[in-house]
Amino acid sequence: MNSLTSSTIVSSKSFSKEIDFTPKKSNIPGSIAIWFAILAEMSEFAIMFIVYFLAKVHNPELFYEGPTRLNTLAGTTNTLIMLTSSFFVVRAIMAIRDNKRKQSANWLWGAVGCGIIYLIIKAFEYQWNASQGLTTETNIFYGVYYYVTFNHFLHVGWGSAGLIWVIYRINTGIYTSTEHEGLINMAVYWHMIDLAWITIFPLLYVIR
Amino acid sequence: MIEKRLVLTSPIRLINILWIMLIILTLFSAYMAERGTTEFYSIAIMAVVLAIKGRIIVDHFMELKNAHIVLRTLMRVYFYIIPMMIIIVYLFAEQIAKWTSL
Repeated sequence: MNSLTSSTIVSSKSFSKEIDFTPKKSNIPGSIAIWFAILAEMSEFAIMFIVYFLAKVHNPELFYEGPTRLNTLAGTTNTLIMLTSSFFVVRAIMAIRDNKRKQSANWLWGAVGCGIIYLIIKAFEYQWNASQGLTTETNIFYGVYYYVTFNHFLHVGWGSAGLIWVIYRINTGIYTSTEHEGLINMAVYWHMIDLAWITIFPLLYVIR
Repeated sequence: MIEKRLVLTSPIRLINILWIMLIILTLFSAYMAERGTTEFYSIAIMAVVLAIKGRIIVDHFMELKNAHIVLRTLMRVYFYIIPMMIIIVYLFAEQIAKWTSL
């Protein structure tokens, strides 16, 4: 009886050695929930890109002429601004990991500034288009252009608001060098907005 | 090779270099837009530029380079498919139009 008990204890000990029940460190940046949101948004943009490709093959002349009448300077400037804002967000993450909360918030303010400049340039671009007589009704190219870019415009708007929210949370001490998942969630979401724009830019402004 | 060299540098330096690379690639795209060429090689270059920019952001800015394989693959594949679509649509526009006509 005794020997049976001791053998059970031995096997139980060796079992616990073989399997490590401690929670493993996640290799997903941020939470899984934000990645569901990001993949859903990327799918939404993918549908828009499919519409773009289909409209292009059916209307090659309109899609050849369309980009020539758009403001390439505004499109390029906004691409540079979006990439820079993403860079600022990466630097903010690096700063918080280094326990430099003030610096992290400053980098994020830089990203918010980029978001606001983006929105101003886009609004100017829409006005400039209107003065050239380019509206959603002009032809299918501009219909696709307005639908896709306005959708992205909204993302930059609420993304900027999200950045301000995480700055507030940094300043109130909620995020620390070790606990800042919310900030990572916002960062990867902002990068998704950037990814959408770097795809939109060549499709609508560059490729004919 | 270039990536291996970059890995040897500090994380901040690496991110700074990648940001400058993204800026240069964007300016190159703008130059191509102004040239307005429609030859296959320029379309292919634009597709490759998009693929590179997407990969840099996914791997380094989103930090997915060593992340969960499913997530990493889903995000990376996006920037294989869209550039490939650009090339396919350029090469086979008429056939695709025929197949998708009602």
